[in-house]
Amino acid sequence: MQSKKLGWLLLSPTLFILGLFGIFPFIYVVWVSFHEWNPFAANPEKLFNWAENYRKVVFDAQFLASLGVTLAFVFFAVVSEVVIGYLLAQAFMKNFPGKSFFRTIHTLPLIMAPIIVGSIWKLMTTPSIGIIPNLLDTWFGIDLNIGQSALAAFSITVIMDIWHWTPLVTLSLIAALVSLPSDPFEQAQIDGANKRQVFWHITLPMIRPALIATVFIRLMDAMRTVDEVLMLTGGGPGSATRYVGVHIYKEVFPRTNYGYGSAISVIVLYLSIVICWLLYVSLIAPRNKKG
Amino acid sequence: MGNVQIKGVTKNYGGVRVMHGVDVDIEDGEFVVLVGPSGCGKSTLLRMIAGLEEISGGQISIGGRIVNDIPPKERDIAMVFQSYALYPHKTVAENMGFPLLMAKRPKAEIAEKVNRAAEILDLTKYLDRYPKQLSGGQRQRVAMGRAIVRDPQVFLFDEPLSNLDAKLRVTMRVEIKELHQRLKTTTVYVTHDQIEAMTMANKIVVMRDGRVEQIGRPLDLYDRPVNLFVAGFIGSPSMNFLQGKVATQGGKQVVLTEQGIALPLDGVQVEDGRAVTYGIRPEHITIGAGGIPVDVSVFEPTGSETLIFGRVGGVPIDALVRERIEEEPGKTMLFRIDPRKAHVFDQATGQRL
Repeated sequence: MQSKKLGWLLLSPTLFILGLFGIFPFIYVVWVSFHEWNPFAANPEKLFNWAENYRKVVFDAQFLASLGVTLAFVFFAVVSEVVIGYLLAQAFMKNFPGKSFFRTIHTLPLIMAPIIVGSIWKLMTTPSIGIIPNLLDTWFGIDLNIGQSALAAFSITVIMDIWHWTPLVTLSLIAALVSLPSDPFEQAQIDGANKRQVFWHITLPMIRPALIATVFIRLMDAMRTVDEVLMLTGGGPGSATRYVGVHIYKEVFPRTNYGYGSAISVIVLYLSIVICWLLYVSLIAPRNKKG
Repeated sequence: MGNVQIKGVTKNYGGVRVMHGVDVDIEDGEFVVLVGPSGCGKSTLLRMIAGLEEISGGQISIGGRIVNDIPPKERDIAMVFQSYALYPHKTVAENMGFPLLMAKRPKAEIAEKVNRAAEILDLTKYLDRYPKQLSGGQRQRVAMGRAIVRDPQVFLFDEPLSNLDAKLRVTMRVEIKELHQRLKTTTVYVTHDQIEAMTMANKIVVMRDGRVEQIGRPLDLYDRPVNLFVAGFIGSPSMNFLQGKVATQGGKQVVLTEQGIALPLDGVQVEDGRAVTYGIRPEHITIGAGGIPVDVSVFEPTGSETLIFGRVGGVPIDALVRERIEEEPGKTMLFRIDPRKAHVFDQATGQRL
């Protein structure tokens, strides 16, 4: 009995913080999402309106468009990050002069706040003063204007995300690769596997758990990207980069549509869970059943 | 055919030479054991045969073909690692079929060869299991199965039994030997365990510090070790060594220790006065009148035999006898040495005289 009480006592600070900053806000958002609530409207009261917000979300063309570009953004960003991250991790497994210097440099983006990353990329991409449009123009005669071209804006947000988050993938894959035993790889050489076969048959299956965990983390993070994009493009031009995070922000803050914004948040959370569940079912579950 | 020739092979790590010109000739169908203490270079030599380790000088040929610059997968060898190196995400059948899959053999042929190997190794029931669901001995057999499905020219074993418990090690030792007698594939086997070497090999290569100390049939090594190192390494419990000088007493040559104990010699031609190391195996000592007096400290009865630890003039000497001895430790016993079984080595060079 005594030890049980002590256990709860020791857990209580964590539970308190989790409850205050995690569980309570979540329940509050769900509760708000069932209300019509705009504190700056004629009637600032919360009015319970059943699932009206959700009905609106499903038919909201702006939200659906935003969801579409978000999925495209997540797909291109995460796939590139995993591929580039893996190649970098493999490169860092080899010895070359200045390796630890490069490894340190390449992780620096990770420690930068997204808002800073957004500002820097905005500086670098602003037409006429940014270095990127400048060089593209000088070298290739390409006119890059993220304020006008939807494709350019979209591409730059993807590249910015890759720049910012690939080091995370690299680090976790380095950790996975370092911990692999060397014997199966030597065995595979003797068994006649070439480099490509070693990758598909040995390396990939053996780092699979780390790889999937990394993809999950990146996927969920990319789904809720707000600050970098808000800083860089503000969701534009038009709504080309109005990803769901940005969309929610714009609903909730400038327009103070708290109830509707909450409903979108809940829907996006639900979609993230569904996507992760689909990945889990297709990638992890079949192996667990066998193994 | 599956013969392996190693000629003047050297290996440098950075500026340090760790292998000093090794020559070994392995004939087709032979079971050769590389044995030696850890760090002697036996595993390195095996990995050089496999192609996992580059050679700095000399030449290795397999089946008459020089393989110095040929990658492992083209050397027509199969290797069993100490850790078994099974692919954890593949089933037993997939593990065993992997080399054939890489060689792009038809599915039916892979299945047939895997089934046959599984039958030989008694693994048929486990084909759908994953390595983590198998015991150590079963994993060991899967690793061997993966080697035999390929029907290579040479099998390479790198301390394959070290991770097994003592009883299983004996069983697997017999299994590997039976397998070799059945398949007659040239085998190179690395171990630090001289019992494994003695029991399994057609030919033993004793190595130390990157050099070959002696090559020979197991019993030849036991009967006529060329130097102190081989004498001490082969045989268990290991040989007793006593220092002394050759002298003639009563018309017979003996080795006289500092304490004036005369150790009998027979059939060795050495001039009087030479400083030698006298070697006698514990199993060549009997207890009885006419022996040398030994202060006995410990008895180790194993049932079938008794190991007696003692000291003569402060130098340890052990005897292994068939009788059961019920004596108090601390007594003096007479150790009778069979002079025909004694070995004499030069004290300075350690070479056999």
